Amino acid sequence: MLFSSIPFLYYFLAITILLYIISPKKLKNSTLLLCSLFFYYWGERTYTIIMVVSILFGYVFGLLIERYRETKAKAPLTAVSVAISLSFLLYFKYADFFIENFNAVTGLSVPLLNVVLPIGISFYTFQIISYTIDVSRGERAQKNPINLGAYITMFPQLIAGPIVRYSDIDRELTTRTHTLDDTAAGIRRFVFGLGKKILIANQLGELVSAFRAASEPSVLWHWLYAIAFCLHIYFDFSGYSDMAIGLGRIFGFHFIENFNYPYISASITEFWRRWHISLGSWFRDYVYIPLGGNRCGKARQLFNIAVVWFLTGMWHGAAWNFIVWGLYFAVLLTIEKLWLLKYLKKSKVLSRIYVLLFVLISFVIFNASGMAEAGSDLLGLVGVGKSGMLPLVSAEAIYNLKSFAVVIILGIIGSTPLPKRLAEKFEKGEKTRVISNIAEPIVLVALFATMTAYLVDGSFNPFLYFRF
Amino acid sequence: MKSNKIKNIVVCSLFGAILLVMFALCILMPKPEYSESERRKLAELLPLTYENVESGRWMTSFDSYSTDNFPFRDEFRTLKAIVSTGVFSRLDNNKIYVADGYAAAIEYPMRDENLVRAAERFRNVYNTFLSESNNVYVSIIPDKGAFLAKENGRLSMDYDAFEARMRELTSDFSEYVEISDLLSLEDYYKTDTHWRQEQITDVADRLLSAMGKSPTGEHKTNELDYGFHGVYYGQSAMPLPAETIYYLTNDALDGCRVCNGDKVSFGANGELMMPEMPMYDMELGHGKDPYEMYLGGSLSLVTVENPAVTDGSHLVLFRDSFGSAIAPLLCESYSKVTLVDIRYIQPMMLGRFIDFDGADVMFLYSTLVVNNSETLK
Repeated sequence: MLFSSIPFLYYFLAITILLYIISPKKLKNSTLLLCSLFFYYWGERTYTIIMVVSILFGYVFGLLIERYRETKAKAPLTAVSVAISLSFLLYFKYADFFIENFNAVTGLSVPLLNVVLPIGISFYTFQIISYTIDVSRGERAQKNPINLGAYITMFPQLIAGPIVRYSDIDRELTTRTHTLDDTAAGIRRFVFGLGKKILIANQLGELVSAFRAASEPSVLWHWLYAIAFCLHIYFDFSGYSDMAIGLGRIFGFHFIENFNYPYISASITEFWRRWHISLGSWFRDYVYIPLGGNRCGKARQLFNIAVVWFLTGMWHGAAWNFIVWGLYFAVLLTIEKLWLLKYLKKSKVLSRIYVLLFVLISFVIFNASGMAEAGSDLLGLVGVGKSGMLPLVSAEAIYNLKSFAVVIILGIIGSTPLPKRLAEKFEKGEKTRVISNIAEPIVLVALFATMTAYLVDGSFNPFLYFRF
Repeated sequence: MKSNKIKNIVVCSLFGAILLVMFALCILMPKPEYSESERRKLAELLPLTYENVESGRWMTSFDSYSTDNFPFRDEFRTLKAIVSTGVFSRLDNNKIYVADGYAAAIEYPMRDENLVRAAERFRNVYNTFLSESNNVYVSIIPDKGAFLAKENGRLSMDYDAFEARMRELTSDFSEYVEISDLLSLEDYYKTDTHWRQEQITDVADRLLSAMGKSPTGEHKTNELDYGFHGVYYGQSAMPLPAETIYYLTNDALDGCRVCNGDKVSFGANGELMMPEMPMYDMELGHGKDPYEMYLGGSLSLVTVENPAVTDGSHLVLFRDSFGSAIAPLLCESYSKVTLVDIRYIQPMMLGRFIDFDGADVMFLYSTLVVNNSETLK
């Protein structure tokens, strides 16, 4: 079930909030668990059992690891727990990828398993792994399976993150409070996130699709596509994260922020501190640091970076373009670490242009269906087409540039902190605060009505991160 | 702080109220089976059975059902169209645009493979049923975009190239009759794809002249007493005014006998029997698509016999829905006109129903059908 859908907004969410409000305090987590399981089952009937089994393994191993934490059994228990969680992920996400490549290398024809990827498996697997590792590092294990289940399956973040650490919401699972401020802030965040998704990301998604269906390739079309996809993926994913964080807050949870205006970064290093923060910090804490992190020789550090970014690429998808995408960032981060970072500090303008250009190239690779398409999309940016040089412009490109100009401009402005700063400035002024207080509910209702209108009209609406 | 508290109370109350009120309306409001504005059957909810749930079909059907049956659906669609074109300045809404008061679909690009396919379909008919004794003609009707798109900054096909290509592809078995120079934007309905019958008598005369026939006579212009919202009205979801459908009559047309070949049967001696139908069907004129009043709309086979012309001339008109409005005017100069729509009937079956011997044959199709000729059989 998509957040940006009529069934979610006007059926599931309405009923879930109602049930949650009327549930006694003791049963609120049970209510959340049941609603979340229903939410998951709606879109993933066959593999709901896989998620439940994964959670049960996590629960049992959490208790065992806590019990034997001071003994030699801690390490093997943790390793087995991580291995079990990863085995589900490896089988469902990577089995066919490995077979394909094995066949390509050996010339054999091992039949593909044609396994369907369970929705959200990459996210909930990482949450379970972080839980058991945190317990092995000293966090207390969750004794109540309902609480652990509510944490893993919590529908706001179940299928596309942010990857919420158990340690971050451990206390809130048992003793959270519900305040008017939190609820209103949650609603505000949810509505704005929904707006980012429906009004900006979906429209840019149409532009991206129009490029794929285009009959007149041109240099302008390729750049328009690349810029549109960069904005599309940001608004799609950060919009989803906003909705998740907002919904979490309505239910009394404070999830980790997942995006912090990544497109204003002055280096790729900074970009990755601002983009998909929960994934970056997960790899830092559970892969990079255990491998030695920065506290080792230069060569080892670079090796650690390569491993982390190879895995980051793999996490995003079982295809070579994702691996190349991950390693591409490993190379950029290595160059910055060894040499470039100090030069980037000299000019904010040039450093930002550098970031935007290299991130744009990365997302062209990311969104391709394979390395061949990635190559052709990249070559298109410099005017090289499949059958010779491309024209600079085409009628389709100009038409779509005109048709999507306002959306793109709004997207560019919206991906900077400017709107937030303006709103804060408005809130601080004595006179403007009155206007802001009156305008905010009106804007929220108008936005919600407009987004409903877009949903009713059945526009373009896939969530990009569902495939991970 | 107090004002913040009030604001937060208002935000929470409004959000809760919207969700609950709309949820109640979703459950309680009546669910129409058909959308008049979109001219389509709305999604139905599958029965709640174990098989439907386990297969996910019930969930999928619920997604479509809840969206299709959302309260005030038409109003929300209009709001979306206004925001899309007004606030976001999108040049089209769901590939439909409104310019100079006319709504039209983006028809772009010219798909050469589809032009080739259409020409092959025509040639297939020629090779199967026709010979040099038949006079064969091809004519292409430009869609509204030919007069609206380029002038208003929308993607526009090269209509001259389109015609030239069709002329080239069909020149070995037919004569091409150009009519685009006789048409202008005013010849089309503002909210529909189609042309207006009262505006195309000159086109009918050009076609008849090319086939060596006398032009149409004088007509009485009649008005249908029912507001017409064309297909683009619902698709664009823009608040466009209703139009008036006009239809032409005269003594010759009044005397024609029209038969519906879709309800054909065979008599005791194997003779073809087709039920009669009106040339202008007022019931259909007051129905879901009033344009279907012209010769019954989308029928695969229709015959019109004109007792006022006694020379035994026969025109077989292969056509799409544009042909329904012009065919009555062509009937005035033929003893018999047979209308065939090969989107709905296999051409191989035509020999059972049509005597092609000595008949004039015309392929009269709009650019919309030729450019999307997957629909032709």
